[in-house]
Amino acid sequence: MKPTLKKIYDWVDERLELQDLIKFMAKKYVPVHSHSIWYYFGGVSLFLFTIQVVTGILLLMYYKGSEELAFESIQFIMSKVAFGWLIRSLHSWTANLFILTAMIHMFSVFFEKAYRKPRELTWLTGMLMLFLLLGFGFTGYLLPWNELAFFATKVGTEITGVVPIVGKPILQFMRGGDDVTGATLSRLFGFHVAVLPGIFTLLLGAHLLFVNRQGMSEPLHYAETPEKDRKTMPFFPNFLLRDLLFWLIVLNVLAILAVFFPWELGTKADPFASAPAGIKPEWYFLFMFQTLKYIPAQIWFIDGEVLGVLAFGAAGFLWLMVPFWDRQSSAGESKRFVNYIGLFVVMYIILFTIIGWLA
Amino acid sequence: MSDIPDPHVQQDKRDFLKFALFGGLFAWLAAVIFPVLSYLKPPKQAEVIVNSVKAGKIADFANDSGSIIKFGNKPVILIRNPQGEFKAFSAVCTHLECTVQYKKDLGMIWCACHNGKYDLNGRNVSGPPPRPLDEFRVTVQGEEVSISKKS
Amino acid sequence: MRQKYFVFKCVAASFLFFSGILIAGDQCITCHTTVVGDKPSEQFQHDIHSKKGISCADCHGGNRNMEEMEAAMNPKEGYKGVPKGDAISQTCATCHADPERMKKYGSTLPTNQWTNLQTSAHGKLSTNGKEHIAQCITCHNAHGIVPVKDPASPVYPLNVVKTCTKCHASATFMRTYNPSLPIDQGEKYRTSVHGMLNAKGDPKPAVCSSCHGSHDIRTSKDAKSSVYAVNLPGTCSKCHSNAQYMKDYKIPTNQYEKYAKSVHGTALLQKHDVGAPSCNSCHGNHGATPPGVESVSKVCGTCHALNADLFSSSPHKKAFDERKLPECETCHSNHGIVAATDSLIGVTAQAVCSRCHHENDNPKGFAAAKAMRLMVDSLSLSGSVATALVNDAEQKGMEVTEAKFKLRDARQAHLEMRTMVHAFNEAKFREVIDKGMAATALAKGEAQGAVDEYYFRRIGLGVSTLIMSLLAIALFIYIKRIEKKQAEQR
Repeated sequence: MKPTLKKIYDWVDERLELQDLIKFMAKKYVPVHSHSIWYYFGGVSLFLFTIQVVTGILLLMYYKGSEELAFESIQFIMSKVAFGWLIRSLHSWTANLFILTAMIHMFSVFFEKAYRKPRELTWLTGMLMLFLLLGFGFTGYLLPWNELAFFATKVGTEITGVVPIVGKPILQFMRGGDDVTGATLSRLFGFHVAVLPGIFTLLLGAHLLFVNRQGMSEPLHYAETPEKDRKTMPFFPNFLLRDLLFWLIVLNVLAILAVFFPWELGTKADPFASAPAGIKPEWYFLFMFQTLKYIPAQIWFIDGEVLGVLAFGAAGFLWLMVPFWDRQSSAGESKRFVNYIGLFVVMYIILFTIIGWLA
Repeated sequence: MSDIPDPHVQQDKRDFLKFALFGGLFAWLAAVIFPVLSYLKPPKQAEVIVNSVKAGKIADFANDSGSIIKFGNKPVILIRNPQGEFKAFSAVCTHLECTVQYKKDLGMIWCACHNGKYDLNGRNVSGPPPRPLDEFRVTVQGEEVSISKKS
Repeated sequence: MRQKYFVFKCVAASFLFFSGILIAGDQCITCHTTVVGDKPSEQFQHDIHSKKGISCADCHGGNRNMEEMEAAMNPKEGYKGVPKGDAISQTCATCHADPERMKKYGSTLPTNQWTNLQTSAHGKLSTNGKEHIAQCITCHNAHGIVPVKDPASPVYPLNVVKTCTKCHASATFMRTYNPSLPIDQGEKYRTSVHGMLNAKGDPKPAVCSSCHGSHDIRTSKDAKSSVYAVNLPGTCSKCHSNAQYMKDYKIPTNQYEKYAKSVHGTALLQKHDVGAPSCNSCHGNHGATPPGVESVSKVCGTCHALNADLFSSSPHKKAFDERKLPECETCHSNHGIVAATDSLIGVTAQAVCSRCHHENDNPKGFAAAKAMRLMVDSLSLSGSVATALVNDAEQKGMEVTEAKFKLRDARQAHLEMRTMVHAFNEAKFREVIDKGMAATALAKGEAQGAVDEYYFRRIGLGVSTLIMSLLAIALFIYIKRIEKKQAEQR
């Protein structure tokens, strides 16, 4: 068996010069230090993305994106299609885990200040992908057309509607009309399976290209560490195999979640029913949702909700632009102030998510 | 670690490890591919909702007879009247959900549970049924008789 | 306020004063009785209106003080002649719909008759759009009207039936308005208990108006009608639940109370299922009598036909007839009938069979009852086991539509068994039970398959977890080895 494999390998190598690629990868080194663990979260996010692509394509084989059939088709997938329950549960669980790992990845980059020069563009593409992920979550949530998703989408789109001037057109654009209807479903379905994946793939390509060109970011303190103490490991095979090991474990966790906690379907959405109590968005929107609840209805002469939405928009933008205003990081300095902001944001998100969860 | 490695043992270990690695990989691939392939295999019921079912050939149904056809998870009664025309109704009695049948001597749809009777237009004419039976559409294409939901 | 009252008093006083003078010289009645000698004027002298000082001219117009006919009955004097069509009732209503005026005559009568009549079937139906079926005089007469309590009144209880049947027994008349309405109500009524007592001169038993109302009579299909199916039990109970009113008749007064709690009563009164029987469905309406012993099963059988048929051909039929036992009622009771349960059959304390089939004097019947109950119990047990299994599978998120489809058959067999029991034939009964048992077995099989599938998933997960763990461990060792080799090489 071995000679055959070797022969095939040689045949391919002769034509594609795989040896060069391996040499290139082997030349890549991953710094080894006390925070090395965070390097794995980028990779695992990539892995989860591929799971989403595969399970998503599989779901497309049976899903029907219309008001009459969306709910029924998911029910059909869950009950009639062999392993449909597994594919659907995997897709739902992976979506949530994906956003979690992407957020961990983002915050680790933030605190390691890995966004500093020359990696501003890597940060930008990463952040845009995170926003797209939230978009995936939002659009995908409605697709089963169940009661909870229906009303959460109603509330979610309503919030965008409060933004002055552009809010109303955006709202109509997202809903495909004035209300959440079958038109909204078709629209969000289109976004979920065509528009967002397209943009996401482009950004992902750029992101990976940048990482490959620039290599792994080293922690700030490496500047003062003597060369011989800067421990590293080769990207290939050491780091890649470790990545694979981690992915394997994550896949197993996902399988366990899918079998023991199958994703619920709930009851079919009825646009004429009154909203059930305790409508909540997905957990990654909870902190914003909860904040908006606490903002008083009127601050000076501005509507409280408008202010909240605008504030979140501004905060998101500032966060996106951090490589450009945190100039000291590029000079290799760690500014306490930026760390405190980051810490505050993390605490804020965790606290409000918990409050929102318990409420 | 300080021992001089015995090349023999090393060889065995490597072989076993390689075996475990490749074996595991193939088993894993099988564990992934099997569900995916099963998923892609068309399920017994090909469509999300049963909108129509094939009842059979015209010749299968004698004049002045009725037969129960499974429509999704509900029974439907297909009636062929003495003139040879087809009609189909939900076979679920509107009283206590028994399955109705065609009673030739009465020329009516009859429920055995409480003697509910419906005429051949599905209207409840006697007995306890409070409502008429829901009607289904019958389409005859060539020799093939099929039943579909009335929209 | 006080001033107004004073003015009113003055006006009233002067009015009475003048009318007092004028009555003495009412030229209408003088002339019509002495010179013309017609019937209306003769009748009118006994009329309550005449006694209250109301003149012909009050309804017919004209001037009662003029002696000359041309002058008195001159349209210029407001003479209207004989009112026609709806104008008749409107004439009556000028006083009878006006509480102030009625009070002046010392009347305590209600004043809503005219409005009621207009909403009634009699006030709505018309052949020409202007003249409706019944006017006041249709029932009350025009001249010679006496109070309702006066036995001479056409609406006195003993006369009501005659009054109503004037039209309602006339095929030619009824054809003009409602050709499909029967015309035999009066005849039937004569045969009813109510009618027979009425004929004996007892004014208390129900007459037409007791149930249908008087001025506000609506058709029985009108949801506001007192004889609309849902309202009917309440209407009957007005008298039949009134112990005081019924005390001379020596019959119970708890029928309504029992009925309201019964399976029929809850269906009709609470669920408004108008297909459910009301009092009249068993007792008849116009010919209301308690059904006789041998006709009970015929009465119940109008709806429960299959049960009645099976019973009539069963061995019980003869036995019941011989002992003069009412057929359905013996086991199911009458007014307070509740939904039958499986516990009715058998030889336990709640069961009805053992009331006659004692273990000692009738061992064969006793054994049959016991055996049938055993079959029922095993079917229900099997059914509930199957249902539980299906629910369990469904709870586990499994696909169970097929199993549920089979459960339908089991449920149907159970219902059929409830009917088949009336044949009181063990073999026939066992057939139905076997059908049910077969269906539950199929359902159980389907459900068990689904539950197995659930565990298959767990096993599948276990296997793949094992594979992945092994692979992970192998990978881990492999990494370690590579790194060891790398360290050695360095």
